[in-house]
Amino acid sequence: MTEITPTKTLDVCGKICPYPDMNTMTTLKKMKKGEILEVLLDYPLSVERIPRNLKKQGHKLLATEQIDGPNHRMLIEAHGLK
Amino acid sequence: MEAVITGLFVGIFFGFVLQRGRFCMNSAFRDVLLLKDNTLLKAVGIALLVELFGFAIMDMTGAIAINPKPFWWGANILGSFVFGVGMVLAGGCASGITYRVGEGMIGAITAVLGLSIGGYITAAGFLKGFKSSLQEATIIKTADGANLTLANVLGMNYSTLALIIFVVAVVAWIIVARKNKEDYDGAAGWSWLSTGVLIGLAGIFAFPLSAAAGRNYPLGITAGWIGVVKNILGKAEGLDWLSWMVLGIMVGSFVAAMIAKEFKFRMPSVGDLLKTFGGGLLMGFGAVTSGGCNIGHLLSGVPQLSLGSILAGISIILGSWATSYLIFVRPNK
Repeated sequence: MTEITPTKTLDVCGKICPYPDMNTMTTLKKMKKGEILEVLLDYPLSVERIPRNLKKQGHKLLATEQIDGPNHRMLIEAHGLK
Repeated sequence: MEAVITGLFVGIFFGFVLQRGRFCMNSAFRDVLLLKDNTLLKAVGIALLVELFGFAIMDMTGAIAINPKPFWWGANILGSFVFGVGMVLAGGCASGITYRVGEGMIGAITAVLGLSIGGYITAAGFLKGFKSSLQEATIIKTADGANLTLANVLGMNYSTLALIIFVVAVVAWIIVARKNKEDYDGAAGWSWLSTGVLIGLAGIFAFPLSAAAGRNYPLGITAGWIGVVKNILGKAEGLDWLSWMVLGIMVGSFVAAMIAKEFKFRMPSVGDLLKTFGGGLLMGFGAVTSGGCNIGHLLSGVPQLSLGSILAGISIILGSWATSYLIFVRPNK
């Protein structure tokens, strides 16, 4: 998964609900179809919740990687519908 | 000594469950509005049902005597609405910010600081007069001076009504769930069902243990923090049951976070720190004015069928929705 080059990186470390979720969703909304968003986050609840919401919005979760402890990296392919 | 041990015990259990279950009422209400996600709301519902059943049985057998909070509609509406506004800014309800301290979140520490200070100045400081007059001006009691509950308004016995509501709600829930064929997509935290049951059990354990220590009420948060402030200021000697319980929450969530390797000191921006502190101040003012936070009113008062707690719960949700809309929905339109 590290071979995928993200179009954009969103760092929401230190932020707690609902910012990681909301920032991810609003950033994805502005991206074109097929563009890749990399999200860096350290909030466990959002790591579990973002995938659920991605599914509803039609975006595709490519990978979730645990860096260490609560630090996670997510790669998401934007759906591209405004 | 007993208050120390049982308070800490209930707090540690509660904190552990809060952390593992990611139980936060702020998220529960907000997710429904923003993300159309009702996972946490279902956990809240299960916890309330478990408590409703437990309190009814304990009240019937004499293990506890329910002690519903007063109905002071003006204070319930204003205080709890402000509390709902504050918890969105603070990034968590009263229990949410308390357990997140144990996860190492600095933003939660400033929120708790705000909650404690806001609560203290409303309970014993310069806002005390305002709070007391609003409560006294809008209080309504039964003819024989009892606090209003669904049960005494309908002229029913508490346990009977509680068990009827419990059975009806469970049956209705099963029917709706079957229709929607909901399935839970697994997460690293616990499922909403086990979280809800365990939170409910924490409330059930808390009631008789707290009563034995001289405080006849189940869980609460804000008054526990105010107790800590009073001790720091030298206005009280020794922590009471609720304060030990609140301290136990942080121990429990710290242990849970360490086991799950989720503990980390997280430092947000200075702006975020100020915002969570301000949110905490509003929460403290709101909780003391209304006579309870989300735990005292929603989790502990609603299963006792207190009308004040039910009104407070609705106001908390409306305050949180109004603020979430202004902060998150409108700017993105």
